[in-house]
Formats: sequence, structure tokens, C-alpha cells
Amino acid sequence: MKEWRRRWQRYRRQNRFLAAVYLGLLVLAGGAYALFARMAGLPAEQFTNRLLTFLLWWFDLTLIAILLFILLRNFLKLGLERHYGILGSRFRTKLLLSYLGLILIPTSLLFLLSAALLSGAAKAWFSEPVERMARAGVELADGMRAEAEARAARAAGVIAQRVRGITSEPARLAEIERLHAELGDHLTGLLRDGIPVVEFADPRQRILQKLPPLPAEAFKADGVRGERFGGTLVVRAWRRLPDGSAVLVGEALPADLAKAQARLAAGGVAYERLKIERPTITATVVLGFGGLALLVAFAAIWLGLYLSRRFTAPLLALAATTQRIAGGESLEPVPLPAEDEVGMLVGSFNSMVQRLRQRDEELNATVRQLDAVLGAVRTGVLTLDAQRAQVRGNPAAAAMLGVPELATAALPLDALDAAGLARIAETIRTATGPVRGSLTVYPGGLARHLEMAVVPLGGEERPEGWVVALEDLTQLQRAQRLAAWSEVARRIAHQIKNPLTPIRLAAERMARHLERDSPELGEVVTQGSRAIVEHVQAMQEMVDSFSRYAKMPPLARRPVKIGELAGHAVALYQGVREGLRVELVDGSGGREVLLDPDQFRQVLTNLIDNAVEASPPGGAVTVEIGWEGDEAVVTVSDEGSGLKVDDPDLLFQPFYSTKGRGSGVGLAMVQRIVTDHGGTVRLEPNRPHGAVAVVHLPGGEP
Amino acid sequence: MAREFGFGLVWYDCHTMFLAAILLAAVAAPDLDVLLTPAPGRLAVQVVVGRALPSDWTEALAAGAPVSITYRLRLYRNRHWLWDQRVAAHELVVKAQRDPLTGVFSLVAELDGEILASGQVGTLEEAVRWVTHPPPSEVAVPLRREPLLLFVRAEFLTRYKLLVIPTTVGTDWVQLSVPELP
Repeated sequence: MKEWRRRWQRYRRQNRFLAAVYLGLLVLAGGAYALFARMAGLPAEQFTNRLLTFLLWWFDLTLIAILLFILLRNFLKLGLERHYGILGSRFRTKLLLSYLGLILIPTSLLFLLSAALLSGAAKAWFSEPVERMARAGVELADGMRAEAEARAARAAGVIAQRVRGITSEPARLAEIERLHAELGDHLTGLLRDGIPVVEFADPRQRILQKLPPLPAEAFKADGVRGERFGGTLVVRAWRRLPDGSAVLVGEALPADLAKAQARLAAGGVAYERLKIERPTITATVVLGFGGLALLVAFAAIWLGLYLSRRFTAPLLALAATTQRIAGGESLEPVPLPAEDEVGMLVGSFNSMVQRLRQRDEELNATVRQLDAVLGAVRTGVLTLDAQRAQVRGNPAAAAMLGVPELATAALPLDALDAAGLARIAETIRTATGPVRGSLTVYPGGLARHLEMAVVPLGGEERPEGWVVALEDLTQLQRAQRLAAWSEVARRIAHQIKNPLTPIRLAAERMARHLERDSPELGEVVTQGSRAIVEHVQAMQEMVDSFSRYAKMPPLARRPVKIGELAGHAVALYQGVREGLRVELVDGSGGREVLLDPDQFRQVLTNLIDNAVEASPPGGAVTVEIGWEGDEAVVTVSDEGSGLKVDDPDLLFQPFYSTKGRGSGVGLAMVQRIVTDHGGTVRLEPNRPHGAVAVVHLPGGEP
Repeated sequence: MAREFGFGLVWYDCHTMFLAAILLAAVAAPDLDVLLTPAPGRLAVQVVVGRALPSDWTEALAAGAPVSITYRLRLYRNRHWLWDQRVAAHELVVKAQRDPLTGVFSLVAELDGEILASGQVGTLEEAVRWVTHPPPSEVAVPLRREPLLLFVRAEFLTRYKLLVIPTTVGTDWVQLSVPELP
């Protein structure tokens, strides 16, 4: 109520509203005036019917206009909403159309059926039997009146005939009185110029004497007339006489009969009135039912629209919120309260939002922690999406690669190409699974040696993203290189010092013998010079091996049948020592491996050399070629004393030897050649005794 | 002869009837005859309905139901450049009702609500003639420069199309030029 009052207070101040109200009242008043003027001459019953029809017309038209307005407005609104893709418009359109179908179809059918039934009923009311009955009343009244008129006319004629020849006035009057008594008429009289000369009335029908006289003009000819008088029907008939006078005979119907006759006639007249008003009555009833149907449709449509709005509002709010969340906006609960199942849905959604918010906060905290960790670690980390189009990095990666923007924003992977990091970018692009490797990049012109690992996230089949870990080995390698060189220098010094001592001793011995002029001088010089030459020669060999190690030529790889290559190498060692078996187990299947045959032959030679040297008499050296996946595996095993160090990797260091002879670069060269081929080599104890060298080589062609 | 020329006679009769129908249609009396009699400042309009009244109407009258014919008279200024302006409108309502007890038809003619004439007749034919030949209606004619047009129409009944759309059963509008008044 307050709301209506508030609206009225607001509207009544608006001039347009007042003008519309004024014009509306004007139109209504004009319409009412025209209507009353048009129907002023109608009988009350017809007036009522017409007024009712008009009011129903007005009511129906108003309802149709309101309905059309509501429907058009809603359809136009929905059409625009659909055009602009507003959420829920399609659902509301379907809902509205369903409502309309559910409401209009049965209502229209009901209305048409009702109209047909009413029309049929109206026809039944005005059926032939009813009409015959109604008309019978009128015909009966007509017949009785006609009968009375005929009777009166006949009596007047008889009397006129009898008195026509009587010239004496008293005799004529006496004859009229006699005939009055004889014929039993209610009224018998003689009139001259319309003025009664004599009137004889039945004492029971004295009312006839009160009848107003007929106009004189009526007596210019014979005639008969029926009149209503005193609540009954009075019939008067007259016949002119030759002398200008006229005989009048009157008859009054019994009052009860006349009343019954009048009622019958009135019924017939009422029926005819109804019949002539039948179209209006039918129209009124149909319009009434139409109005009722429209009212029902209006109420149902309004209710449907209201319910659809009420029903869809929480759903639309829910959908809008989910759409906003899907669009990247922050998680928000749906503010619209609802109490039914939709309310439960909204409540569940809000709970979900609450939980997601908590998880989001936890996730954010984790991300912040991770960011802090990634910002603090010295390992460079790059993250990429599944398509490897965008790349981000932590500060360490940005510093390593010399691309500071990596730490603040996602960059296209092509940006690494532009920054001179094409090898990294290419490795990332072409990785189909986990990839490890090392490379040297030159950010800012400075060389950086990086260890790189590319790992897919969420499985290799359908990775959800990629992570690249970068380890800057520049400092480590420098330190290692320094340490290695120190070790090399120490070993070289040791290797050089070993022959120098006997040389110095030989020289000192020769010098002593020379000072003493020893008779053994010649022999001593001979022995000393031989020893010196031998040791110098050993030193020469050592220097040569250093030179070979340092001057490893670049790889010249080509497809080589590794089985054949190993067979040739093994063939050279057949009968190298008495009782030693050097055997080849070729499981290569004739497949080829991409390698430099000369350098790999050096690998095989060095390994077989070591094995032969370590093997006891009667032992066996076995060279075995096989495959593990796409990798060729070459093992060289012996039955010697086995590995004499705890860490077998030490044996691959240059100038490291446990044999007390040799340069110590053999295994170092093996490792270098195998590594240059992209493979690995390791030393393991052989069972039950001895050692085995295992070489893995990638990229075997099937 | 009739037997011999039977077909010819039939054809002759049909042909004659067809021609007669065409002639009747061509010279058929208009629905409404209007006779204008000018008088100083006034115009006497005599209207005669030239067509048969609807059977519903006559049946209702014969059965005693009150019926009426409304003659609408509209006077317009015949303006050359603008639409015609209505200057007067009159309504002549002729009512008839039969007293089923006495069989007398009571007749009243009202011009704009004022009784113009009344009478009683004894037969349906006389009653129909009375209402289709109402007494002349005298209407005041304003003095105007432009020529005046008189539109007349007789309305008998109201019927409904499709049960609910009201239509008036009557004659078409008859347009006449108002003669110069003396």
C-alpha cells in the first residue's frame, strides 16, 4: 500500500501523467456521451443490452490491448536481449513461449468451445417449437379479437338489416331494444352524426357505457374497431343506415380472458423482442466469455511472467556470477537469496565459492612461497604453457640468460631466439619428453656453461606445461677445470719426476765414476746412458700421448655396422697372449650406429687393451654388442683382479692410473670419445671377478 | 404447339426472364429516394425507402415487437481544398409497434427526439408504408458560401459478424447537393 502511495505521489507530479489522465477522462466522457446519444431512443431492455455489449467490448478490447502490450513488450525486450546476447534471454524466451502455449491454446479452445456452445444454446432458445408457441399467443389474441370483431360486425349487420325498413323512430328504437335483448349483445345503440341516440347496455357490462365516443369521421363508412378499455378488449362495429344514422354493436371480452390473452400476447412480444435482440445477446454472452477467457489468459500470462522472473532470477544471477568467474573475475558469492531448490543450488554454489576462495588463498600463498623460493634459488627455472608459446622465468634464469623481462612477464618463446638463445629455444621446442644436456650461451658476450633439463608437466603424452631447469656450471666448471689442471699438473709432474730420478741417479753415478776415474766408467756410462735414453723415451711416449689426448680431431660420424667394427677390433687381439681368449658376442643384428669409426675403434682398442692387460693367463676377454631400446650397448669384460678403486669414475680422469705404468689417458680418451658421441661409459665389477666396461651409444638406425 | 415447341418456349421464357432481370437490375429503384424541398432557411427532406425491409424486421413488427428505422441526415460543407466539414446532423427515428391485443399498429416519428408525427394503422402493409415513407423532416440550413452536401441513410437493424463485430443493416449513404435556398 505504501508502495502504491509512493508511486502515486511520484506520478501525480508529472505533467505527462496528469495530461494523460485528463485526456483519458475526456475520451471516456466523449465516448459515454456518444453512446448515450446513440442509444437514447432505445427501449430500456435494448439499451441495457447495448450498454452491456459496449462495456464488454471495451473490457475485451482493453484486455486485448494490455495483453498485446505485455506480450509485445516482453517479446521485443527478449528479442533485443537475444540480439545483444544477454545471459538468460534464450531460456526466458523458451519459458515465455511455453507459458503462452500452455495458456493460450487451452484458453482459446475453451473460449471457442464455449462460444460454439453458447451460440448453439441461443439457437436452441429460439427454436421452431418455441417460436410457434410464442406466436401462437399472438395468433390466439388476433383470432379472438377477429372473432369478436366478426361477431359484432355480424350483429350490427343483422340489426341494421332489421331496422333499415322501419321509418318510425320509436318503432326503430323498440326494435333495436328487442334485438339487443334477443341477440344478447353487450352494447347496442343507434348513433346519428356520431352522437348516440339510444344505447342499450348489458347490465354486467356497464363499462361499455363509459367508452369514449368514436370520432364522427369513423361513421362515414361501416367499420369495426377493437380497443383496450377498462382492462379488457372492447370491440365496436357499426353499420350505416340509409338515413345517415348508424347501428353500433359493442362487445367486451371477459376481463380474465382479456388479461390471459394479453399475457399470452405479451409473451409472444417478449419473445420477438428477444429474438430481434438475439445477435446482441449472443454477442454479449460471447464477449463476456471472451472477456473471461482474456482475463484468465491475462492473469495466467502475468503470473507466468512473474514466476519466470522469480524462478529465473536466482538462476540468471548464478549463471552471471559463474560467467564472471569464468571470465577471470574474482570469486564472488551469488547475493540473491532464494528458499527453494534453487536456493539450495545458490547456497551450494556460495559454499563452493567460499571453499574455492580458501583454496585460492592457500594456492596464492603457495605461489608466493614458490615465487620466493624460485627468486632465491640459484637454479634458473623457466615455465612454459602446453603449447610452449609463452615462457616465464625466475630471476636466476633471467640473469643467466641475460633477459631481465623473463622475471617480470611472460614472453613469447621467440624472444629467446631474438636474445641469441636459439639453442635453448630450439631444445625446448623440439623436446618430446624429458631432455637433459649442457650448452654454452653467450648473454652479453660472456660465455655461460649451462646444464639444462626440460621436463614436461603432467605426463609426456599430453603435457600441461613445461619446466626448464638451468644450472649455471660456469663457475663450477672453471673450478673443476682448475682442479683438473692442478691434478693433471701434479700427475704430469709425478710422471715426469718418475723417470727424472733414475736419470739423475744415472748421471750422478756416471759423474762419481768419472771423478774417481773408475775403471768401470765405461760400463757405468753405457748402463747410465741406456737408462737415460730409456727414460727419456718413456717421457717422449708420455708427451706423445698427452698430445694425442689434447689434439682429438672432430667427429666424422657416419652409419657404421657396429658388429663388424667390433669384429675387426677383436680379430687383432686373437693370440695376443698365450692362453688368453678374446671373444666377440655380436648381438647387434647387423644394425648401424651413427659414429666416427676411427675414434670408436680407439675406444674398443683401449678397452680391450686394458682388459687383456688385466686378464690372468687362461682368462677370457669378452666383447659383447647388444641393444637396449634405441641405444647400442657395448660391454668389454675381463676376468682379472677387478677394479682397484672405490670410485670407478676416477679411472676416467686423465693421467690417472693404477697400473704404475702407461700415460693414464686411455680411459680418459674413451670417456671423451663416448661423450662426444652423446653416449655414456661406466666401469663395474664383473662377476665373479674382473671388471666390465659398459658403453651406451644413442641413435642406432634400425 | 406447346408440345412441338416446348424447348423453344422454355428457352424463350428463360431468355425473357434473364433480360427482365437485367433490365430490373439496371433500372432498379435506389435503396433510398430523397426529395429535397428548399424553403427559406430550411430544407424539407422527404425520404422514401425503396427496398424491402429485412424479414426479421417485418416479422418482429408483425409479432408485436417494437421496431424502428433510423434515418440519419448529415449536412456537410463541400470545401474544395479541405475535407468536407460537417455542419449539422439530424436523426429521424420512426418507431412502430403493434398492439397484439387490438391489432393496431402505433407509429411515431421523432426528429432529434422531438415527435414529428404519429398515427395508428390497422394493417402491416400500412405500417410498413408509414415507416418507409416517413413525414418530411425540416432541417435548418446554415448560410454558407460553399455548396452544401446532404448525406442520408436509413438503418434498420444491428447484426454481428463473427458473433461479436457489430454491423448496421441499412441502406448506403445517399449524397445530394443541397439546392439554393430561396
